[in-house]
Amino acid sequence: MSESSYTRVPVLGRQLRDFMFAGVLALVIASAAFVGVRNRELAARQIDLATRSADAVADGRDALPTVHAAIVSEPRISTKHSYLRRRTIREGGKTRVLGAEPHVADDKLFYDAANRAQQGATIAEMLPDGSGRALVAHKAPGGIAIAITAPAAPAPYPFLVFIGVLGLGASLVAAGALVGRNAQRLGTLAGIATLAVPTLLWQSWVAASLILALAFVVAAMQHIGVSDRFARGLVTHRVALSFLSPAAVAMSVLVAAPFVIGLLLGFYDHHQGTWTFVGLDNFTRILSGNGHSLDDPLNFWFILGVTVLWTVANIALHVTVGVSLALLLSRKWLRGKGIFRMLLILPWAIPNYITALMWKGMFQGQYGAVNSLLHAVGLGDVSWFGSWATAFSANVITNTWLGFPFMMVVALGALETIPKELYEAASVDGASAWQRFRHITLPHLRPALGPAVALGSIWTFNMFNVIFLVSGGKPGDSTNILVTDAYRWAFERGDRYGMAAAEGTIIFLILLLWTVFGTRVVRSKEPA
Amino acid sequence: MKFLVAVFALLVACSEPKGVVLWHAYNGDERVALEATATAWNTAHPDQPVTLVAVPYDAFADKLSSAIPRGNGPDLFIYPQDRIGDWAAAGVIEPLEFWVDDARADRFTEQSLGAMAYHGSLWGLPMTVKSLVLYYRSDLAPEPPKTTADLLALAGKLRDRHVFAVAYPSPDLYAHAMWLHGFGGRVMDDDGALTIATPQATQAMTFARSLVAQGVAPEDAQGPLIASMFNDGRAATVVSGPWFIPDIGRNVPWHVTTLPIVSETGKPAAPFVTAEGILMSARAKDKDAAFAVMDFLSGDASAVVRAKAGHQVVPNIHAYDDKELAGDPTVAVFRAQLQHVVPMPNDPNMRRVWTPYRTALGEVLAGRDDPGASLNALQREIEKYTDKK
Repeated sequence: MSESSYTRVPVLGRQLRDFMFAGVLALVIASAAFVGVRNRELAARQIDLATRSADAVADGRDALPTVHAAIVSEPRISTKHSYLRRRTIREGGKTRVLGAEPHVADDKLFYDAANRAQQGATIAEMLPDGSGRALVAHKAPGGIAIAITAPAAPAPYPFLVFIGVLGLGASLVAAGALVGRNAQRLGTLAGIATLAVPTLLWQSWVAASLILALAFVVAAMQHIGVSDRFARGLVTHRVALSFLSPAAVAMSVLVAAPFVIGLLLGFYDHHQGTWTFVGLDNFTRILSGNGHSLDDPLNFWFILGVTVLWTVANIALHVTVGVSLALLLSRKWLRGKGIFRMLLILPWAIPNYITALMWKGMFQGQYGAVNSLLHAVGLGDVSWFGSWATAFSANVITNTWLGFPFMMVVALGALETIPKELYEAASVDGASAWQRFRHITLPHLRPALGPAVALGSIWTFNMFNVIFLVSGGKPGDSTNILVTDAYRWAFERGDRYGMAAAEGTIIFLILLLWTVFGTRVVRSKEPA
Repeated sequence: MKFLVAVFALLVACSEPKGVVLWHAYNGDERVALEATATAWNTAHPDQPVTLVAVPYDAFADKLSSAIPRGNGPDLFIYPQDRIGDWAAAGVIEPLEFWVDDARADRFTEQSLGAMAYHGSLWGLPMTVKSLVLYYRSDLAPEPPKTTADLLALAGKLRDRHVFAVAYPSPDLYAHAMWLHGFGGRVMDDDGALTIATPQATQAMTFARSLVAQGVAPEDAQGPLIASMFNDGRAATVVSGPWFIPDIGRNVPWHVTTLPIVSETGKPAAPFVTAEGILMSARAKDKDAAFAVMDFLSGDASAVVRAKAGHQVVPNIHAYDDKELAGDPTVAVFRAQLQHVVPMPNDPNMRRVWTPYRTALGEVLAGRDDPGASLNALQREIEKYTDKK
């Protein structure tokens, strides 16, 4: 006897725990069903009232007592201004101009409804202000019959019903637990299924089936012990989970949700505020060049070519300049290292769009600093944004200025970790400076530079600011990269957010492939 | 405790601003003038005050497009006409015919009110009209050029001194439009169909290129550079709008006049005119109150304040009954220019035109592309992005 009571308590606890978990989910489903059903019912009732009243005034009878209904005249269009029109309203035997002061409540609603119903369609809808008022308008002899109901509150939330079924369900679960054996699962099943009863009464079949499915799933999970394992996991790792949860919430709101929405938008076309599902149409349009030939700067493959060239040129220069400067800074004989290091990191510390704007000014043809310098040393002016090669170079020069400090800092850190003994041993063996660099320095830099190159290439691939601000695509859109082209779709070609999102997805896939396979290539060169 | 009450009060104040909220992108004198008129309203109507919120112009339109459909954003805002088509179609702004009768409409010049109309509805009340005029330095151009032939003659005189006859943002369609219209071309017709590749447009582009090729005008001058060229005496004249005045240096002997006549056609160069209006959000909380505010701020009395303190060219006919305004020579030039302007289309498709046009024009001005061929390619490209009607 004592042994059985010892085991039954945890069984009851477990049964109620699983019921609580399922009950919360079931309550959410049932509440959503309730809100949907009651809004539908309220709308149907109110629109019915309004329809009968509008029909009544159209026939010259009186509207229902709580409904504000009247006939609004056809518009009288101003002779001076074709876009101005007056309407009159006839109610209580009197006719007055809508919109003339003083304004009477609902006048604007009547006026707007008359404008919309003018084309002949019947309007029957709830006002969007959440007041629960319904509006019906249709053409009638002498103008447009319009009826607006009084506000109405929807049925209150059925707290008592939910508390009742929760209690009933919990007792069924407890009963099952006390009987033991297979009755436990049966109790869980019946207890959760009880929560579907109110949704059946509201004839919300989707919600009812969802809750029944939930009941089966929870009972099955209990049966194979998944729910126990899950609960134990929660308890065991509760400290870790509580530390993780703020970051998890932030990541899902700030990263995961926009990412998923961005992916989905690529399958839609946006036109003046309305979205239409177009499947893969955006992707095929982009990838097929959208009717532009391959050598046209608006063709996707042309832009991709420019983007890849841009990335490769920049990374090569960032690494070369960064590593060279790092080697210089790590020389023992150099005085004032701190000052040099600070100066060299400065380009990184200044916001990159400021730097981009400064360089744009310096590349200006007539008065820019770069051409003034060229002039001073006896070289002719260069029209920097006049040809593709010079405009592209101007972009690369600007971005190299921005990008080398990062590589330099990474390389400096890696140089510190190379043991001095290696160089000493190499010197003793008679290795030249180049051999020491080739066989000692470079292999030791690689592990640090690999990830830096991967990261830098992703940044550069999507370096919007420099392209947009320095060359702006000049000459003739030919120096655009994929992100600036996506920007064009979103903001300069008529809010084609779908096309921009699709191009964004393509950029993402390219970078995904690069990080998965490209960085493997970089890493495979690491010394074993 | 006091602190908590203060925080609570602040939260309440933030969540539910009282009265009418208006967004604008004005700064400097325009802002001061607008604030003065808003203060006048608030003194008279303490129960229904208007709150002005200055929002940077760059993000203005996008903020509105995304905030208003979600029930956020201001009740009123001030913006040029060019987005009206988009916003009307997307249900962002409220039509105003309900409140506006002929008497109210007659306060404004027909052209400025017409700029606020789209698809048979009125969407805003005009606050100011802006167009380009010709600024000149009387030391470099004692007689301002009345025709384009005069302009070329002036360039001949100034060439040896390395002074440009005229500086304007030549690759910008907004500025180039004066030549386009002067040669009889248009960007789109009254039905919103694109008329980009036309013989007139080709002539205008060829003319603009000749200005650059002959050293009459710089190839690619932007706002700050144009101002410094004018101030340093490197450009005798500048084509710009009323916003240029604050940039002119103190010792520059400057004057304004209307744009020259295009000698080839005998027609005056006609820039775009944009009307800036006060528009109502379709989700304004109290629309009657919001209209009362916009009616006041665009009314004649407020217009006089904005014209005097904010140096705006106001579209209110009776504002010029004011002696001081009627006698101002600069204001007179801006009003005279309004006789020869083309309203900037507020058709949504116009927004697809600006960037490609600038790219194509830049190529032609640099001599890398032929005007006719470039315009044909341009029309084809833009048609790809525009909505089929």
